Amino acid sequence: MPPLLLQPHASLSHAEALQVAQQAPEFLRKNPASYSASPLLSLFSPPENSKIWTIYENLLLACLRTGDNTTAHQCLERLVVRFGASDERIAALEGLVKEAEATNNGELEKVLKEYEAILAEDNTNTPIAKRRIALLRTMGKTAESIEALVQYLDFASTDAEAWIELADLYLSQGLYSQAIYAQEEALVIAPNAWNLHARLGEILLMAAESGSEGNPQNYLAGSLKRFCRSIELSDDYLRGYYGLKRVTDKLLNGDSKAKKSSESDEFTLPETSTIEKLNLAATKKLGDIVRNYDAKAPLWQGYDAGEVAAARAYLSNTSQKVVR
Amino acid sequence: MAWLSRPLTLVGLVLLAHGCYSAHEHTVLSSTSAQHSTSPSTAALPLDIYIETAVATFLLCVGLVLGSGTLKPIEWHTWAGKIEREADRSLSGSGDADDATGNPFSALEARSGFINIHKLHGDFVKYSQQLGK
Repeated sequence: MPPLLLQPHASLSHAEALQVAQQAPEFLRKNPASYSASPLLSLFSPPENSKIWTIYENLLLACLRTGDNTTAHQCLERLVVRFGASDERIAALEGLVKEAEATNNGELEKVLKEYEAILAEDNTNTPIAKRRIALLRTMGKTAESIEALVQYLDFASTDAEAWIELADLYLSQGLYSQAIYAQEEALVIAPNAWNLHARLGEILLMAAESGSEGNPQNYLAGSLKRFCRSIELSDDYLRGYYGLKRVTDKLLNGDSKAKKSSESDEFTLPETSTIEKLNLAATKKLGDIVRNYDAKAPLWQGYDAGEVAAARAYLSNTSQKVVR
Repeated sequence: MAWLSRPLTLVGLVLLAHGCYSAHEHTVLSSTSAQHSTSPSTAALPLDIYIETAVATFLLCVGLVLGSGTLKPIEWHTWAGKIEREADRSLSGSGDADDATGNPFSALEARSGFINIHKLHGDFVKYSQQLGK
């Protein structure tokens, strides 16, 4: 895993966000307030690299999250000095600061109006369009948010991030088949992303477990396929193996009644012996990962502690069932 | 085996230099002696110089190969598995900048463009209150 400062901020836990926010004042002090474009002056100032601006953005988000608004404004100011207030991305960040400082719905409404005013001038301004969609979701207007996002995807159909957001929005509404469609679109854009394959597997598994629409067996077959692809793309991928074990357990314990109807559908389940082999492989790998992580093996420390704990709990849970 | 690399390279360099020097000396000597005798065998380099040069080059190659760093994975699944498995080593100084990028697709799932800062801040306030208790 990369250092905390460079990781995408939304994936951090609260404790990690606090850790990042605490580094902000020191980072601001260490780095110069502005970089000169003159070649003579740049000889005497530290070199500017692209990572610095990613870090500023992450610090800004972390400070907003922890409520340290003065430091957040300092970070934003540096970004504005470097890129100018008219830059689309910077404008979106400015809007983000306003959103974070808004205390009631009325103020959020005002920010939304500002976004709409910007979009009325230039409706291809992607960062602002994304902020508007996110703000609609924040305000609880999920239906409007989905509508706006679908409109956005009409002209920016290669934006994988937006497709995933759409899948997440649909999923929050329990619309599984739409969520699966959106997630598949994201996979078309990034076919090698092993985490997206695992995510699609998880959505399919959720759809199978809810059992509200479609054939659950069909969803399980799709889910099995996706998890297999994710571990094919990445050795030792905890999330993929965990999902694979969940799916194969479910398939092996499930009733065989529904199996007959699945033959005509697009995904056919593999033989039971193959599923058993996959289950065994997943159990073995999960055991390896948990053991190596617990033993503090130096090359196995990249996993998320929570994910390892979940795998450990699930493994002990299923092994107890086998003993009984 | 890494400790062998430097001595091997050094021995290889010395041998190569010696081989070159011997070859040069031999040609100089044989060109001066060629004026006196016309036998063709003296013009050819002796076998031991050939062997010395070949052995020196081989030793140099082995030394350099042994001393090079570990190879980076070129297979996608090995590379991705390494990213998932290993913690960041750039803080301890042994990893280089390329290794520190992590899963390039995690940004897609984090969706920074759609970040819900209001909810994150609210959750953080709850979290800090829990910590305070």
